[in-house]
This record gives sequence, structure tokens and C-alpha cells, in this order.
Amino acid sequence: MLKPFFLPVCLVAALCLLPACKIVKTDQASSDETPAGPEGDETRVSLIVEDSFASNVIPNIKSTATDISTLQKAVAKGLDAAGDAYGVRPSGAGSSWNFAVTGKGKIVAHNLTSRAATLDLDTNSDGQGDIILQLGPVVKGSALRDVSPTYVFTNFRDQIEFAKLGRALNTAALAGITPPAGDPSGKTVTFVGATSLRSASDPIRVLPIELEVAQ
Amino acid sequence: MNLKRRLLVATMALGFVASAPVFANAADLIAIITPGHDNPFFKAEADGAAARAKELGYETLVLVHDDDANKQSQLFDSAIAAGAKAIILDNAGANASVAAVQKAKDVEIPSFLIDREITKSGVAVSQIVSNNYQGAQLGAEEFVRLMGETGEYAELVGKESDTNAGIRSSGYHDVIDQYPDLKMVAQQSANWSQTEAYAIMETMLQANPGIKGVISGNDTMAMGAWAALEAAGRTDVIVVGFDGSNDVRDSIMKGGIKATVLQPAYAQAQMAVDQADKYLKTGSTGLDEKQLMDCVLVNADNAPKLETFALSN
Repeated sequence: MLKPFFLPVCLVAALCLLPACKIVKTDQASSDETPAGPEGDETRVSLIVEDSFASNVIPNIKSTATDISTLQKAVAKGLDAAGDAYGVRPSGAGSSWNFAVTGKGKIVAHNLTSRAATLDLDTNSDGQGDIILQLGPVVKGSALRDVSPTYVFTNFRDQIEFAKLGRALNTAALAGITPPAGDPSGKTVTFVGATSLRSASDPIRVLPIELEVAQ
Repeated sequence: MNLKRRLLVATMALGFVASAPVFANAADLIAIITPGHDNPFFKAEADGAAARAKELGYETLVLVHDDDANKQSQLFDSAIAAGAKAIILDNAGANASVAAVQKAKDVEIPSFLIDREITKSGVAVSQIVSNNYQGAQLGAEEFVRLMGETGEYAELVGKESDTNAGIRSSGYHDVIDQYPDLKMVAQQSANWSQTEAYAIMETMLQANPGIKGVISGNDTMAMGAWAALEAAGRTDVIVVGFDGSNDVRDSIMKGGIKATVLQPAYAQAQMAVDQADKYLKTGSTGLDEKQLMDCVLVNADNAPKLETFALSN
């Protein structure tokens, strides 16, 4: 049996040898060694967002965006028909319809001090706000993820990983837009983004990927 | 062996809850396997699936695994032996259930999962789960509003081995943690249990008398917490749950618990049967394997419309 002092001696000897070793980090290691469980989610999800947000999500939303007034008219006649024509619903009948949208409107109300900052836009010139632009940092939903056919829930480990993707995409979108400074009342905003609707009477909350405030 | 006889064998072999009357012309059989019906959520699932299957002309074999993966495996054997054409399953463990579902697949019996995921895709035909993250965010938004965006609160977490416990907690915190004046002073698992929640709530209250709100990972724990708060004369505390049970609905209508989040258990089970029917008739559901079903906030405004995990319009 080893004498009690032997182990510490070995440890000290091993530590002394360490500086002689050089730890080489390879590029491959970073993706291959990401743990498959929840502890690897952050790394994996940020790689997915890096790979696909600019190259896939943004161009897909821009190329499929429906004009907001077209969508509003269609939704007024029935959400499912509007969804069939302009939306996607990857999870089927139990989930919301998701739409890529674009439009222009006048700011009729705003809340820029809240953690869930918003702009209410009047897009049909009736003096009333008819859509809400979400400016975060707290935003509702996962419209960016769910409007993007590149992300398929079946390919993710579980809801937890898939939810983290939704959140990371929202964060990526918010990082790319600049909220208006000062009092923006009455200014005109053009936007491109995504929205999810569960029922025709839901308020339309858009998470923008592009936002421009006319001066 | 005719169907009646095979059903009888299955009945004797294992815990058997109920089955449809056997029709003169033997119809195709759908097996419905869930956790125990003492939790009304699972009973609603089984009832929803059975009702839909009967509407579509199937016979049903309703079984419970009581969250025991070994028992679940035996129930699969019995469903296979009984000649089931499809299996509707709320499973007994994300990892442990893969083998049972694979066993059915190997003899070309498709499984349609509800409520809980399994860790492998490509084994079941459908996995329809509640969008727990979306639901938790709805609950958290309501909680933040009720709290006036400020104050001390406690969280009761579900069973750690269940994915749904973790996802609800992260959905809550992704919203609540954005409000710096909301301070979590206690967080503990009560394992989905009403009695554990009661005891934990008592202790939490003693240690943190300034608690203004409690957010709970499910309704049974919310009921336990509310009972402890009532006993301590602290009915001022805001409690929000998750599931949409009739118990919490009744509490909301009496001004007790303030809100919950409905998981559409009944509709989810029906949807699984619809997909099974389509798959059996056409060879495809036409949908992705894994599907998320949205949850709905329930508070005093719509509580009267809630009955057995379904909201009427």
C-alpha cells in the first residue's frame, strides 16, 4: 500500500511537469466537443445563429414579407385562409400562424422606457395604432424562429434547446436595430420583421429585423 | 384468438382502466397509454383520445403506466399482443421510453406521443408537446403585471428529472429576470406535489415574511402553496400556476390563485388520434414529427370558460 505522503508528492511532481506541456487548441475542437446536453446549448445555439441569422433568416424574411395592409385585410376575412396564403405554421393546427411582414406607419404611441419597449404604428392612416413594433429587450414570442423553415423542431434535442434558439434569434434581431432617440411621436417608420398570430383578433406584434425612422 | 379474448388477456395481465364496448364487427384498435388518472391532466388526455378514437370508429384500450418505465414496456407488449394499430402515449421518461416506442415500431405499430418528448427522433411518428416555454412566458408576463413589476417572490419548481420543469422555469426567468425590482428570495423543487408545496411554502414564509408573490411550475404545487398561504392568513400573496386545472380555475373564480396557463391536454390528445387516423389511412401525417402546441393564459377574465383542460369559445 502507498504511504500517505506518496500521493501529495506525486501531485506536486505532476504539477511541476505541467509547464512543459503546451495545450494546443484546435478550431475543430470547439464545435466537436460541445456537450449534447443543456450545458452545451449556449455554444451550440450561438453557432447556429452565427451560421444562419444573416445568411438565411434575414434574406428569407425579406423575400417572403407580405405587405402589412395585405395581411391585415386577409386576416380580417379569416386567419387560416390568410395563413395558407401568406404564413407558415410548422407545428400544425395547435400553434400560431407566423408571417414575414413589411410596411410603413406613423408612430401614434410609444413606450421606450419599459423593459418591453414598443412603438404603436398607424399603418392605414385612420389615426389609430394597428400594429405594435417590439423593441425589447423583453419581447414576446418566437416569430423569427417559427417563420424560418431552416429551423425544424424535430432536429433539436428538446424544447429547451429549441426555446433557447428562439430567444437567441430575438436577441440577434434586436442587436441589429436602433430604437428612435427622443420623442418619436408622429414620425414615420418603415420596417421588415416577423409576427405570430393565434387568432384573428390578436394584436399584431412585429419583431423587426429592419427599422428606419424618417427624420 | 378474437379481439374480445385478446382484450381480456390484456386486462388480466395488467392494470386496465376502461375500454370501449366491443362492436359486433371488430374495428381497428388504438391503445392509449398515459400516467395515472389520479392527476386530472392525464385523465383529460386519456378521455380526449378515447372520445376522438370512438368518433372515428376505433376501439380503444386505455392503460396507465404510473410513470414506471418497466410497466410501460409491459403495456406496450400487451398493446402489441392485442393487435393495436396505433399507440397514443404520454410517456414514462424521455430516455427510458425510447426502447418501448422502438419495440412497437419494429412490428410496424406507429406511436403518437403527447405532452412529453422522448430524447430520440425518428422512432415515434408524431410528438405533440405543449409549448411550455411560450406558456411559461405568458404566465410570467401576467405575474410581472400582477406584481406591479416590483417585490419579493418565491418560485416552486417541478420534478427535476422532467424536461417540463426546467423549460417552465427558464421561461419564467427569461421574462421575470428582466425586471430588476423583482427579487427572487426562495426557489425550491416541490416535485409537482401539493403536499410538498404546502410544507415548503410554510418554511419559505417563515424565512421570508416579505414575500409578495409565488410562481409555481404547475397547478398542484400552486394549490399546495395557496393552502399554506391561506392557513397563514397571507391571502394577499399573488400565486400563479401552470396547467389549467379545474381546481385552480375554481380558486381563481373565488379570488384565490390569480392565474394559470392552460395546456390544451384534451385537444392535444384528440389531435394525436387525428394524426394516427390519417397515418393509418394514408401512410403519412403530412406534418413534422415534433410539434409544439400553444398554451393559453387563464385568469379571472376567462376562467369561467375553462373545463377539463379545454376553453370553450
